[in-house]
Amino acid sequence: MADPTSTFSESWYRVANQRLCLRPGVRVRRQNFRGERWFVLENPFTNEYFRIRPEAYEFVARLDPRRTVEDVWRECLEKHPDDAPGQEAVLQLLSQLYFSNLLQYDQATDATNLFERFKKRQQREWRSRLLNIMFMRFPLLDPDRFLVRTLPVVGKSISWFGAILWLVVVSAGIKVVADNWDAAKQQSQGILTPENLPLLYVGMILIKAIHEFGHAFICRRFGGEVHTMGIMLMIFTPMPYVDASSSWSFRSRRQRILVGAAGMIVELFAAALLAFVWANTGQGTLHSLAYNMMFIASVSTVIFNANPLLRFDGYYILSDLIDIPNLTQRANKHLRHLAERGLFGLTKSESPARTTSEASWLTVFGISSGIYRLFVFAGILILVADQFFLIGIVMAVVCFISWVTVPIFKFIKYLASSPLLDRHRPRAVAVSIALAAVLIGVLQFTPFPSHFRAPGVVQGREWTQVVNETSGSIVEILTPPGQLVRAGQPLVRLESKELELAIAQARAQQVEIETRLRAVVSKDASGIKPLRELLGSVTNRVAKLVTDQNSLTVRARHDGLWIAPELKDARTRWLARGTPMGLLVNPATFQFTATVRQEEAQALFSQKLTGAEIRLHGQAGRTLATKQWEVIPGGQRTLPSPALGWQAGGEMPVAADDKQGVRSAEPFFEVRAALPASEEIALLHGRSGKIRFDQPWEPLLPRWIRSLRQMLQKRYQL
Amino acid sequence: MLTPTVDYRRTAHRVPERPHQGLDAAVNWCIGRYQRRGARLTELLHSANLADARGSEFKDLRDHDLQEKLFALRDTFRREPTPDHDTMLAALAAVREAAHRCVGLRAFPVQLAGALALHRGCLAEMATGEGKTLTAGIAGVLAGWTRHPTHIITVNDYLAARDAEWLRPLYTFCGVRVGCVTAQLDAAGRAREYDRDVTYTTSKELLADFLRDRLRLGALRDPSRRLIRRMLQPRNAVADGLVQRGLHTAIVDEADSVLIDEAVTPLIISAPRKNELLREAGIYAAKIANELDSETDYRLNQRFREVELTDEGRQKIARRCDSLPGIWRGEARRTELVRIALTAREFFQRDRQYILADGKVVIVDEFTGRPMPQRTWREGLHQAIEAKEGLEITDPSETIARMSFQRFFRCFHRISGMTGTAWEAAGEFWQIYGLPVVRIPTHRPCIREQWPDRFFAREFDKWNAILEDIEQLHAKRRPILVGTRSVAASEKLAGLLRGRGMEFHLLNASRLAEEATIIAIAGERGRITIATNMAGRGTDIRLGSGVAEIGGLHVIATERHESGRVDRQLFGRAGRQGDPGSAQAFVSNEDELLRRYLPKPLSGALNSGGTTFSATAVRLAQRQAQHLAFKQRKAVLRADAWLDEALSFAGE
Repeated sequence: MADPTSTFSESWYRVANQRLCLRPGVRVRRQNFRGERWFVLENPFTNEYFRIRPEAYEFVARLDPRRTVEDVWRECLEKHPDDAPGQEAVLQLLSQLYFSNLLQYDQATDATNLFERFKKRQQREWRSRLLNIMFMRFPLLDPDRFLVRTLPVVGKSISWFGAILWLVVVSAGIKVVADNWDAAKQQSQGILTPENLPLLYVGMILIKAIHEFGHAFICRRFGGEVHTMGIMLMIFTPMPYVDASSSWSFRSRRQRILVGAAGMIVELFAAALLAFVWANTGQGTLHSLAYNMMFIASVSTVIFNANPLLRFDGYYILSDLIDIPNLTQRANKHLRHLAERGLFGLTKSESPARTTSEASWLTVFGISSGIYRLFVFAGILILVADQFFLIGIVMAVVCFISWVTVPIFKFIKYLASSPLLDRHRPRAVAVSIALAAVLIGVLQFTPFPSHFRAPGVVQGREWTQVVNETSGSIVEILTPPGQLVRAGQPLVRLESKELELAIAQARAQQVEIETRLRAVVSKDASGIKPLRELLGSVTNRVAKLVTDQNSLTVRARHDGLWIAPELKDARTRWLARGTPMGLLVNPATFQFTATVRQEEAQALFSQKLTGAEIRLHGQAGRTLATKQWEVIPGGQRTLPSPALGWQAGGEMPVAADDKQGVRSAEPFFEVRAALPASEEIALLHGRSGKIRFDQPWEPLLPRWIRSLRQMLQKRYQL
Repeated sequence: MLTPTVDYRRTAHRVPERPHQGLDAAVNWCIGRYQRRGARLTELLHSANLADARGSEFKDLRDHDLQEKLFALRDTFRREPTPDHDTMLAALAAVREAAHRCVGLRAFPVQLAGALALHRGCLAEMATGEGKTLTAGIAGVLAGWTRHPTHIITVNDYLAARDAEWLRPLYTFCGVRVGCVTAQLDAAGRAREYDRDVTYTTSKELLADFLRDRLRLGALRDPSRRLIRRMLQPRNAVADGLVQRGLHTAIVDEADSVLIDEAVTPLIISAPRKNELLREAGIYAAKIANELDSETDYRLNQRFREVELTDEGRQKIARRCDSLPGIWRGEARRTELVRIALTAREFFQRDRQYILADGKVVIVDEFTGRPMPQRTWREGLHQAIEAKEGLEITDPSETIARMSFQRFFRCFHRISGMTGTAWEAAGEFWQIYGLPVVRIPTHRPCIREQWPDRFFAREFDKWNAILEDIEQLHAKRRPILVGTRSVAASEKLAGLLRGRGMEFHLLNASRLAEEATIIAIAGERGRITIATNMAGRGTDIRLGSGVAEIGGLHVIATERHESGRVDRQLFGRAGRQGDPGSAQAFVSNEDELLRRYLPKPLSGALNSGGTTFSATAVRLAQRQAQHLAFKQRKAVLRADAWLDEALSFAGE
């Protein structure tokens, strides 16, 4: 395009004698942004908006079918010799008004042209829908009439009274949750478990519908029309949405902010009400649903909707708060300007920011939202590829194309052919290549710390199970569990009536044989020998039974910590011989038994590990360094503790049919690492934690490629 | 009788597609490559030979019988403009026979191949002197038979009249009415001539008439609307006084000049109108510009021909403008005006870009070196140059309609063309006009010797070498044609030759009157002719007697042009139609081409490099220049397309 600043244009003749004006019905609103005045033109029939500067408005406002464009332009030029738009600028302005259907003209339009435009627009919409495949929108209905009809009722709540009511209810809700904090916290752990997901989703739909109606009602309350409501596929999850963009033309900033915040306001209100329901119902569907909805309406709202870095409500609120419309585009433009000026040496590049404070806002926002988006998109990519299998891979490829390939391609095109760069192309190309080379160099060649982690449990290295050698029922716990005991110290006393009877019987038998023996000695010498033998065996039996009786008192075999958490319940219960009652653990020597997944096996066996650190749950701030460990070669399938498996909330997938939750779904490798004694960390048998193995430093890129390949191999057997 | 169909066709023209972008462009590029494949030429030549062989069918027919056959063919063509192969060959053979009888020339098979290529909508590359006029005539008969409006576009009025007159017997014989539109013709005459089956004219006349017709029609340009109007108001005549009967087929001679080099210059229909604002602004701007100094107040960008003002310069202007009226108080406006004045001073030089004639600025075409009296520069620049030369400032005329030739020629349903040099721009022909280029071989092999370019570090050495070269060749009595890029350079060389006491003829924009006589004798023994590039295109220099024996014409290019095509046009003056001849170019590192289009570090290295390196550098610079020019033309096209869409509320 020709330079928009130039006063004269070669194409001026095409409009010079036209008689144009704004369409009747076009609304004009004045807005202030950062102390600057703007005019928003709104076409109420198409809901199209166009924002222009006062100089341009000065021109547009003068347009009148009784005068030609040329006359109007000259008049502007006389009134404001400096600010009046040049011919080129007028041409652009008129064409933009025309494209936004805001212009009234007397010539009949070329119908083919209009049709072309319509087709192109449809194409563009479809293309952007495909590119935004993660946030696809399907408009369904026009809620405006419904809103207008219900507004007299609902609108009453949008008032000071409503605000106070809101404050009261929300505070009460917070109090209820605070009172039941433990329960709330505990229930939150189960929120993402598979059985809860359907309920969570139902809750989400309900809450988001309320949220969207919040936007719609408040927007309607301030006079903005709301014509589109529909379904948005957010990462393939259908969600309701409403188009409240008519609020952008509101003159009052406060109103715009309020429309943006409406969704969250309503949600928080709902969350407070649901908190009462949740707190006052017993276990059941209603209780869970209330909890789920409450959780979404509060936590997810604050995390997602209020976050200005993604384009949700928070973004629009922030954009109004700091008075910079089109924040993302302007931030991107500003960053590009910084790059063009700083890196490419384009002195002519102009920043969209008009003040330094705006420039700094744009810089900060641009960079932070850029980085944040990078992470979110990477997360979505991985999630999608991970969750949806083959379709997931296709989707991931599409996303990769639209988020990575297309921008890179565009950038290359910009480098190669942007007229802006004409004079600085060599430098721009050199700088870009250098930066790309540095980036790739850093990723490919600069080693970074490299670790992998594995879950595990603390186990005493010397530990024995305390079992009863004789059947019996517990009558007395001689040493309460949890104490340090010495070898031989009695722990538990059992009682066995049967054994006592057996002893008594055996003793009686013994007496009988002795008596018979004495009788035989005097009468028949030949009968002595069998009787003596019989006596011997009976005597032995007695002795054994007595030993058994002694062993009814279970004693510590060695020094150690006496652990028996379930002993209390076992009182008076009959214990068959060999029933484990508890553990005797040597507190001086603990080991950490970790389960390493197959993906990390190569690193594990590579012998290059430089060290390891262990952190235990609950005391993650403290680390235990260890240098000694041994790997049990050969895959295992039985977890050292059920705590590591999925069923108990651990990380290791376990076989679904295993009720005990110790049989892992895939083989793993067991690593036993020595645990140094530490005063700060209570080493308790069975305490779970994580071990982090330090690998030699390694550049990032090969590492990423490896994990990608491993993921593909594992998921898709590629 | 004006039937709705006829009326519809009058203003119906092809609506050109938007320029391709992205993947479409890539696919289109591939198609273009395929269209230019060598097999195409083989097939054309084969068909031409077949048609040649069928010549005997018609050879012995009496005139009357031949004409009957021709009329039968005409009826076939009217029904089916692209008939089956057999009919096509018969038609070629028959028309060739008719041409032989009517104008006395028997077309060679290569000419038949050329005519066939034209009929198929290709761009035929044919060297000068290969009988392009006859080729176009044969293709014109075939197109005229269809009764679609057919226009044969020549470079100037003289050629249009000459060709039409020369071929009139042929057309008449074949049952085709031929017309010719030149600048002098009045509206009634134009309407009459355009109504003929085939009309010879220039691109300027054609486009101007097209635009004038559109202006006359106004909103009724749309045929359907016209029809409705006629039904509603049967007595109110609409579309009165139109001269053209629609655009359908165009055969463009010197296609590269018309479709590429001059394509983006728009043709403007204008009405003069007082514009005090601009007139005063021009005078003030020139005054202020005279007070500014290079380097301290502004800097020049040679490659992009732009002026950048420094802060100091801006301040100076601001101080100077305090006392000036309205328009000068705004920073943006005054900077723009002064910048235009500076551009006029720094980049537009008399006898290079323009000449002064009758107290007026006349633009000189950069490619042909011809003066173009109708042309003006864009708003303000023309006035700035007038102010700089101290001439009275003309009122900028008010544009009523304008259109670039590029856009215009895209509106034809069927376009084809001929030129001596097309191959270099084959990509552009395809991308913009959808024209595949076919290189038709010469009838007799070309035996022109192309001597390797000679390179010099400094311009001074180059001129000396040129002088020595001229003296040596002159001593052998060979005729020499020296081509220069600008009027100034030609005058300079003239001065140098005069200094050595040599006799020569000088042909440049300010000596147009003698053109024909100078060219007529330029091929004689011992002639030295200095000419700007205008002598390149289309001029046929016939060798004098005995010149062929001593080596024919020798062409010296004193500079390489931005476009290799223009160089080739100049070299093509020598060795026409199998004559002997030779050509050589002289290049110095200080030439504008190398200064403007080579990256600075490279041109520094050039001074120390050898010949091969210099040759590469020239090629590189030419490619760069062509690339840039093509990009600009494409940008113009895109901007035009955008503007059409954006301003469609205002009508076209």
